[in-house]
Amino acid sequence: MPLRLWRKPLDSEKIKIPEGEVHVLKDRCKGCGFCIEFCPKEVLEQSEEFNIKGVHPPQVKEETVCILCSFCEAVCPDFAIFSVKKDCKGGC
Amino acid sequence: MTETPTQYPDSEPSDGIRIGVYVCHCGLNIAGSVDCEEVAKFAAALPHVVIAKDNRYTCSDQGQELIKQDIKEHKLNRLVVASCSPRLHEPTFRRTCEEAGLNKYLFEMANIREHCSWVHLHEKGKATEKAKDLVRMAVAKATLLEPQEENVVPILRKTLVIGGGVAGIQAALDLADTGYKVYLVEKEPSIGGRMAQIDKTFPTMDCSICILAPKMSDTGRHPNIELLTNSEVEDVKGYIGNFKVQVLKKPRFVADECTACGDCSKECPVTTPNEFDIGLATRRAIYTPFAQAVPSTYIIDRDLCLNKENVITCDKCLKACEREAIDFEMKPETVELEVGTIVVATGADVYDPASLVEYGYKKFPNVITSLEFERLINAGGPSGGHLLRPSDMKIPKSVAFIQCVGSRSEKDGHLYCSNVCCMNTIKDSLLIKEHWPETRIYVFYVDIRAYGKGFEDLFKRAKKDGVLFIRGLPAEIIEDRKTNNLWLIGENTLQKELYKINPEMVILSIGIEPRQDSDVIQRLLTLSRTSDGFFMEAHPKLRPVDTPTGGVFLAGCAESPKDIKDSVTQASAASARAGILMAQGKVTVEAITPRLLAEKCQVCGLCARVCPYNAIAVDKETKRVDLIEAACAGCGTCGAECPFEALTMRHFTDEQILAQIEAATEQDADKKIVAFCCNWCSYAGADFAGVSRMQYPTNVRIIRTMCSGRVAPKFIEHTFARGVGAILVSGCHLGDCHYLNANYQTQKRIEKLWKKMERLGLDKNRLQLAWFTAAEGEKFASKIKEMQSIVDSVTLDEIEKSKVIVKRTAR
Repeated sequence: MPLRLWRKPLDSEKIKIPEGEVHVLKDRCKGCGFCIEFCPKEVLEQSEEFNIKGVHPPQVKEETVCILCSFCEAVCPDFAIFSVKKDCKGGC
Repeated sequence: MTETPTQYPDSEPSDGIRIGVYVCHCGLNIAGSVDCEEVAKFAAALPHVVIAKDNRYTCSDQGQELIKQDIKEHKLNRLVVASCSPRLHEPTFRRTCEEAGLNKYLFEMANIREHCSWVHLHEKGKATEKAKDLVRMAVAKATLLEPQEENVVPILRKTLVIGGGVAGIQAALDLADTGYKVYLVEKEPSIGGRMAQIDKTFPTMDCSICILAPKMSDTGRHPNIELLTNSEVEDVKGYIGNFKVQVLKKPRFVADECTACGDCSKECPVTTPNEFDIGLATRRAIYTPFAQAVPSTYIIDRDLCLNKENVITCDKCLKACEREAIDFEMKPETVELEVGTIVVATGADVYDPASLVEYGYKKFPNVITSLEFERLINAGGPSGGHLLRPSDMKIPKSVAFIQCVGSRSEKDGHLYCSNVCCMNTIKDSLLIKEHWPETRIYVFYVDIRAYGKGFEDLFKRAKKDGVLFIRGLPAEIIEDRKTNNLWLIGENTLQKELYKINPEMVILSIGIEPRQDSDVIQRLLTLSRTSDGFFMEAHPKLRPVDTPTGGVFLAGCAESPKDIKDSVTQASAASARAGILMAQGKVTVEAITPRLLAEKCQVCGLCARVCPYNAIAVDKETKRVDLIEAACAGCGTCGAECPFEALTMRHFTDEQILAQIEAATEQDADKKIVAFCCNWCSYAGADFAGVSRMQYPTNVRIIRTMCSGRVAPKFIEHTFARGVGAILVSGCHLGDCHYLNANYQTQKRIEKLWKKMERLGLDKNRLQLAWFTAAEGEKFASKIKEMQSIVDSVTLDEIEKSKVIVKRTAR
């Protein structure tokens, strides 16, 4: 298609995409980094701080892009991370 | 009818060769600038010619009857007709020969119309001399012609249709209804093509998808049609009747169990602008392009989907699908098809007006294209059928259409007329009037072309309904920053006054252009394209849906811009043409393949190395060379390469071509150009120059070979040894060769000859190499003009020198 798509779709405001909220249980983390590596939206990054086990737990970099796939939850060997549906206005 | 009295040469030919020569007047087409009577008299005096006549229309029934009578009465065993291009009437006269019991390979044609009378309209004397030479060359070749037996090849009763737009759909349905198996390959996830995007059709104002959808579902359901969507043709091998096609079936990641309920799509968390709505609406990563899609099965866009490679991070669609139809493990698959015929219905692209900066498309939100308009006015489209201004989502009270955007332009876009935009705009303006009668509508045009059935009525209706047609395109569009309205400034060329109009929305009536990936299909099927980029038909008038490649046919916009009705008509024509072949079930293949002279062959393997089709098998151990006739296409590159003259190209033998060279250079060789032209592109290009009456110098003598790869270095050396002024070797453009890549051999050989000429101290300018498409008549004519100056500058000394040197050094 030589006509490249460039306009903002007319329905872009109406499209509802689930939004997630990520919670990290820092002291459970052993720093394997799976959640960071596998997050499809690159929501997470390694933090600077040390936890009780002496590793860097993940921290949320860009929460607005989380689409609640919950894969971080599934992939974590230590049950140290989970995501929940974000409360938001407008009933999304 | 002027008829030259039959003339006999002094004595009967001793070797039993009896040639009849017929010089055609073609009304005044030839006789207008060639003295046909004189040419016939000249022919009668040539060796082996026992009879020579001129008549008004040799191709007429009477003309053919006369030939048949003469063949019997005068025991003719060779026939020469000097008339038009063999690309036009060779089949006609070959049939005449057969009807008179003469093998059709004993016929030769001299092209004194396209290559003589039409290109030398005002030089009767010189044109007549040229015609004589051309006849002399044809007679020389005819003397050496041999009867040939043609191979019969079976035709598989299956068709491949490439492209699932309305043309492809129609062709597939017609062939499938006739009873043939059809494979319909479509690149996109659904068939339907451009027609599915359009709201209404002109001139009847039918709902486009409403008339297309039943055809689409018929296609999907037809027992004889196998639909391969999301698939691309990767490779085509073989020849008429026996094509082997590889199709890459890209995975949908959704199995046929899908009921198109759409539950998956609702859950999918990623979105992108929808291609079908030209980005005016959103789709998810798992989607169907549009509601009526066939097949209705959803598809996952893996570039967008969160699941990369083997990691399933997001399983929302998997969970939502009750039928468990989603399968991320699906792999691309290559399907091998065997078909007898192919219909190319690959369609066209639309012009992107962003390059016309003066119209501000992509800069001003309220400047839209006609295709975007179709989606906006469509009730099922992104705005629910409301013509909304993208800037403020309000319905405009005044609208301007600008015609010929990307068409009929010397500067930007394309030179040709895109054929559908005038009527499309008229239809669109009426659609606006239907919904919002108060809207002021301006149409800025160059010419309104309302030439088809019912078109003028629609045009009148639009004018009656108050659509204002203004001749003269705006020079510029300027946006009012506050209102986002647009100022159109230009000249009304009928009233010779300037206009400045301020509509709320502008619709650019964009043109149609060849698909960007046309070169892939062109290469796979060895097709030609016109200078506009659309696929070229075998003959513009008489074989409009055939291609130069046997068994391959054209339909729809792939051939040229056209509307739905013309696409459907052409598709039915293409399927009828393909059906004829398949109904016969067999086809004869021209007997132009090589024969091996085993006693001369040294099993060096050079021939096998240059063969584009791997049709020569050389086994050095057993000293065996096998020619695989079914794979050979007859280009003759092997014959040109063989250093031992162990390969005879039937119907284009060394002896025959050398005889043509000698005949062409018998008189005034130093003033002449001998041109070797390949049948498909450069000879056709020279024909095109003739049809277009492009005038060029008379001293060129064209020798036709199937491919420029047939031109052996010894032909060129022999021509120089005969004292010719200059030589032109020409073929299809590199990469465009009708025989895949045979013309690269031509290039190699000519480059070698140039080096040799330099070494020998000869002027290498006298040997020219040029590539022409069948549409580049103008280029051919200017090449000959350019070479005229080379011939003029060559001294007699140089010619004598080259004669001696070439004779001494030739193999």
